[in-house]
Amino acid sequence: MSKQEKEPLFSAKNRKYLTGPFSANNPVIVQILGICSALAVTVQLKPAIVMALSVTVVTAFANLVMSLLRNGVPARIRIIVQLVVIAALVILVDQVLKAYVYEVSKQLSVYVGLIITNCIVMGRVEAFALANKPWPALLDGIGNGLGYGLILIVVAFFRELFGSGSLMGYRIVPESWYEAGYANCGLMLFPPMALILVGCIIWVHRSRNKDLQEK
Amino acid sequence: MAKKFDTNSNLYIVVYATVMVVVVAVLLAVAALSLQERQYANELNEKKQSILQSLGAQDRNYDDFISAYVLDAEGQRIEGEDVFALLKDLPGAFAAGKFPVFEAADGRVVLPVTGTGLWGPIWGYVALEKDMDTVAGIIMAHKGETPGLGAEIATEKYQRQFVGKTIFEGDEFRSITLVKGGAHGDAHGVDAISGGTKTSDGVTAMLRTSLEHYLPMLRAARVAEAAPAAEPTGDEAQEMSNDENVENNE
Repeated sequence: MSKQEKEPLFSAKNRKYLTGPFSANNPVIVQILGICSALAVTVQLKPAIVMALSVTVVTAFANLVMSLLRNGVPARIRIIVQLVVIAALVILVDQVLKAYVYEVSKQLSVYVGLIITNCIVMGRVEAFALANKPWPALLDGIGNGLGYGLILIVVAFFRELFGSGSLMGYRIVPESWYEAGYANCGLMLFPPMALILVGCIIWVHRSRNKDLQEK
Repeated sequence: MAKKFDTNSNLYIVVYATVMVVVVAVLLAVAALSLQERQYANELNEKKQSILQSLGAQDRNYDDFISAYVLDAEGQRIEGEDVFALLKDLPGAFAAGKFPVFEAADGRVVLPVTGTGLWGPIWGYVALEKDMDTVAGIIMAHKGETPGLGAEIATEKYQRQFVGKTIFEGDEFRSITLVKGGAHGDAHGVDAISGGTKTSDGVTAMLRTSLEHYLPMLRAARVAEAAPAAEPTGDEAQEMSNDENVENNE
C-alpha cells in the first residue's frame, strides 16, 4: 500500500489505464471483444448509452471487488469466484434499471443479463484485476467499460440516424425529406449492418494507427 | 497477511465458497426486496398508461377515469378479482375464464388482447366506442418481433389505422383482419405489414380469439345501446342531452 500512496491518484501510468482502452487498446475494435452485444443493442442511441453505462459499472466494480479479494481468492476456484461477483453485479444493475429506467430496461431486455457473458468483463478481471491494486483496477475497469461504450454509441448514432431518421427518439430527418422521396435504410436496423459499421470503425482506426497494422 | 493461509487447501476453498455464496445471496435478496415495490409500480403504471393511451386520454387520471372489473365467459361480473394480477398472465386468465374489462367514465371500454407473433408473445389493448363496435384506439406491444417489420405493430403510425374500423357487421362478429396487399377501405380490415406476414397473422388471430371472449358482454351492451336507455343515471343523462352536439365531432 505504501508504494501506492506515494504515487498520485492520477499519475501518468494510472491515466493510461483509464484512457488506453479508448483508442489504442479498445476492447471492441482492437481486442474484438463484446461484439455480440454491440450488434444487439445499437439500433437506437438511448439503449446503447444505458448499456454502455451498465457495462462500465459492471467492469469497474468487478475489477474493484476482484482486486480487493485477489490475495484471498483460492486460485483453483478463481474463475467461479469471478463469475459469482460479475453475475451478482449484473443482477443488481438489472434490478436498478427495472426500478428506475423501466422503459429502457425493457428495450435492453435480455442483453443486460448477458453482460455476464461479455468477454470484456471477465477478460479484464482475469488479466488485470487479479494482478493489480484496487485503484488501478478500478480505473482499468472504467476505461474498458467506456471504451466499449464509445463504440456502442458511435454505432448506435449511425444506425438510429440512418435507420430511423431520429436520435434519442427525436426526429432529425424532416418530414419534407420523406415526401421528397428520402427513405430510411431498413438494413441499418438489422445486426449485420452493425457488424459492417464496426468493421468500418476498425478500418478507420487502423489506418490512423499504423502500429496496430499487422505486417 | 493473507499469505500465511494456504489458499489452496480444500477446507479453505469450501469455506470461502460457502461464505461468498451466502454473502452474495443476502446482498441480492436485499436489493430485490427493496426495489420490488418500485418495479411493480412501474409495471402497473405502464399498463395504466397503455389503457389510457388506447382511449386517447393520456392526460386523464387513471383512477378517476377508468373503472375495472372482471367478467366470466357468460359476461357476468366476477367479484373480488385483482384485475392487474390477471393482466400479468392474460393467456392464463383467459384460459381460466376470467376476462378483465376497463370501462372509461365516458362509456367506452378497453379490452386487453393477447396472442403470439413470429418470435414471441404479442399483446395489446383495444378501446371500443360506446357502440361496442367502432375501434376508438388500439395499443399493441410485443416481446421480440423483427425491428422494422413485425415490430411495426407497436408504432403509433400503424396503430392509427385501426381507429374507426368496426368489429361487427350487423350482428355478426367480424373482428379486424390484417389484409395482405392492403385493406382498401374495408371496414373490418387494415393493411398488413409487408415483410411481417407472420406477425400480421398473429395480430389477426389475437384480435379474433381475444375479442371473442368478450362477445356476450359486447352483444348485451349493443342490445342495450340499440334500445332506448332504461335508467339513465345522472352521468348518462348529461351525456345524452349533449349527444346531438357531440355526435359528429370527428
